Amino acid sequence: MNENRRQILEMLAAGKLTADEAERLIAALEPESTPSAGEFDGMVGRLRGASVKTKAKYLRVLVEADGEMTGLKGPTTVNVRVPMQLLRAGVRLAALIPQQAHGQLDEALSKHGVPITLSQIKPENLEELIEHLEDLTVDVEGKGGNTTKVRVFCE
Amino acid sequence: MTPNIAIVQVTNREWRWHGFKLWIPLFLLWIPAILLSPVILLVIFGLCIAGRLDPFRAMQIFWDVLCSLPGTHVHVRADQNTVLVRIL
Repeated sequence: MNENRRQILEMLAAGKLTADEAERLIAALEPESTPSAGEFDGMVGRLRGASVKTKAKYLRVLVEADGEMTGLKGPTTVNVRVPMQLLRAGVRLAALIPQQAHGQLDEALSKHGVPITLSQIKPENLEELIEHLEDLTVDVEGKGGNTTKVRVFCE
Repeated sequence: MTPNIAIVQVTNREWRWHGFKLWIPLFLLWIPAILLSPVILLVIFGLCIAGRLDPFRAMQIFWDVLCSLPGTHVHVRADQNTVLVRIL
């Protein structure tokens, strides 16, 4: 038996691959499209990676607040979905802000409870920032009579 | 891909007509944008030079922002008012 085919069957038996994934891999091993060892390993990696973690596309912010909290008649709900791509572009947009304005902006942001130093957000840190954002889930629930709920997560 | 359609919906139960829903065909904005492109480019270059920015970099960043807008969804409901903005 072909070594690659044996490896697929072993992974299927071990539960590392689903029957569908194994079928796709075996189909890829057909004579007309026999991949090299490197290509085969890449395909296995992609399939396994896809089943373990899919890349988040959107940042979601959900807020539910009761009337007492907001002072309005009924409950207030906010449902925002922002594409991750927009966040990336937005961080790049910050690079257009003149250097002289950074100090004033940082001061204004920290005054409003957002202690971010804009000059520290650089394109090289951007991917890392977005990557960590994908693992972020924030759940806030009010105590006592306050029933405000805030959820921030990626999907 | 640039945004093609924006949906704006505003509802209020107290209004007689309970609100409205608009489908804004953003792709039609390409027609005036292309016709006015020389003027727009001149204005962008002028502003960038005045602001000591690289105009090509600024345009690339704004293009990236524009292309990443599809998929944005904002829905706010408060005090019997509902506002929904979707960009497709």
